[in-house]
Amino acid sequence: MNLRFILSMGWYYGFYSIIRGPSYVIASLSMPMTMLFLVYMLSRGSLISYAIIGGFISMMSTNALSSAGDAAFFRLELKVQDLFVVSSISSTDYMLGIMLSYLVFSIPGIAVYAALSYIYKVLTPLSALALIAVILIMLVSTSSISFILAGMLTHIRNVWGIVSILSIVLSIIPPIFYPYTYLPKYIVYVLALSPATPAAVIMQGLAGLQPLQPIMAVILVAETVAYFMLARKFIRWTEV
Amino acid sequence: MIELQRLTKVYRGGQLALNDVSAKLTKKVTAVIGRNGAGKTTLMRILSTQLLPTSGTATINGFDILRDKGKIRKFLVSVPQEGRPIGMLTPFEHLRIYLTARGMSFSDATEAARKALKELELWEFRDRPADMLSGGMKRKLFVAMAIAAGADYVFLDEPTTGLDPLSRIEVWAAIKELRADVLLTTHYMEEAVELSEEIVFMDGGKIIAQGELNSLLEGFKGMIRVESSSPVDGWMRVGNIYFTYASADEAEAYLKKGFSIKQITLEDLFIRHGVMEIEP
Repeated sequence: MNLRFILSMGWYYGFYSIIRGPSYVIASLSMPMTMLFLVYMLSRGSLISYAIIGGFISMMSTNALSSAGDAAFFRLELKVQDLFVVSSISSTDYMLGIMLSYLVFSIPGIAVYAALSYIYKVLTPLSALALIAVILIMLVSTSSISFILAGMLTHIRNVWGIVSILSIVLSIIPPIFYPYTYLPKYIVYVLALSPATPAAVIMQGLAGLQPLQPIMAVILVAETVAYFMLARKFIRWTEV
Repeated sequence: MIELQRLTKVYRGGQLALNDVSAKLTKKVTAVIGRNGAGKTTLMRILSTQLLPTSGTATINGFDILRDKGKIRKFLVSVPQEGRPIGMLTPFEHLRIYLTARGMSFSDATEAARKALKELELWEFRDRPADMLSGGMKRKLFVAMAIAAGADYVFLDEPTTGLDPLSRIEVWAAIKELRADVLLTTHYMEEAVELSEEIVFMDGGKIIAQGELNSLLEGFKGMIRVESSSPVDGWMRVGNIYFTYASADEAEAYLKKGFSIKQITLEDLFIRHGVMEIEP
């Protein structure tokens, strides 16, 4: 593993994207913040904890999904991926570099939600630590879905449209902003194909909002491994 | 040395891009020249270990492109056709990311980046986001990456396509700074002549001629090309130009008749091999 490359990519592409493209940071926060506002208004504040935890998860999921746009753009338009293929790094290093850049890019959003969590006393120190772990795992799994998608595309034309659709399917419909118990159990398992679902169920349990479902931790880890392995195959590091 | 051993590439749609290509490339700078669709980029991508051949193989410095991918990727830099830098990042940041990807430490990467940017006169633009650089500077940035990487081999796929004449000259100057063995593809005759010691002609997925410029033009020794913009019986035609070949001794006579005289160039080799569409 080439840690120096991962750190360089994470720092330069993540940090300087915040500095040189702040509008993207605000755009990435707009949807979760809108949902937070709506949930707060419609529930008259009673579901604010769900909205804050959901906002964390949704923002991370949306940002990770938008890496599909960059991955496809780097491969199909800029040909940056080809440049990196002929170097010392592996496809794993390349993907982790981009993932880290999206984590760095998400820091302002994480700070906003951390402040809200503190104000509304949503998380205990222990559940905050668990949330960090869940977010990191979800970043890997959701970014892997992005790389799978990016690798399947033969043209850049549709990527942003597909990312928008996926953002809704994988980051809004799952029980992120509402109690997972509102859904029939089998629907929760179907929606668990989106890493945001087990992440939200785990966090709703750890925050004491709903019963804890340890099976969801197993599902989250298992699908993270599966999506990551698939991403390594689909990213077209060496084309056939 | 690069040795191609019966390389064939058939894409999924059935398109034959390389057709049983064998050759030895031994010179310091080799240009692969051919029209769009000749198979140049496919050859380049296969040699760069980015694309698998359907059959056959190749070796670079004795390392097999199929078995020794990891080793080849360490001593080779391949700049893709129409490759562009990431708009948000500066030249200095590009180089530092790229050089760490090649295994350099942070301090070595910074030092090598500084040297290469100064060498190619990009230093004053080091902190300017790439989307604010000119087309020529963007291409020079890729050459700077190759210089800084200190690779043994540099492959450049159509390094000046789409650039204005001045930018092309700038990129040529940058390419000449490379100390590595260079394999470049182009469809500009003058680029091949300017930069390379050996020229490989490709068409229809095959190598149709290979050699140094002088030896390739040997068959045209003492000859000139005579051109006319109006039809002349028995002459060949490309577009609106009618032409024939004649002995250089006859040049004055043709000039008196109002025809244009041209030196023999690589284009004529294309014509001889039937690559250009000529109407008799």
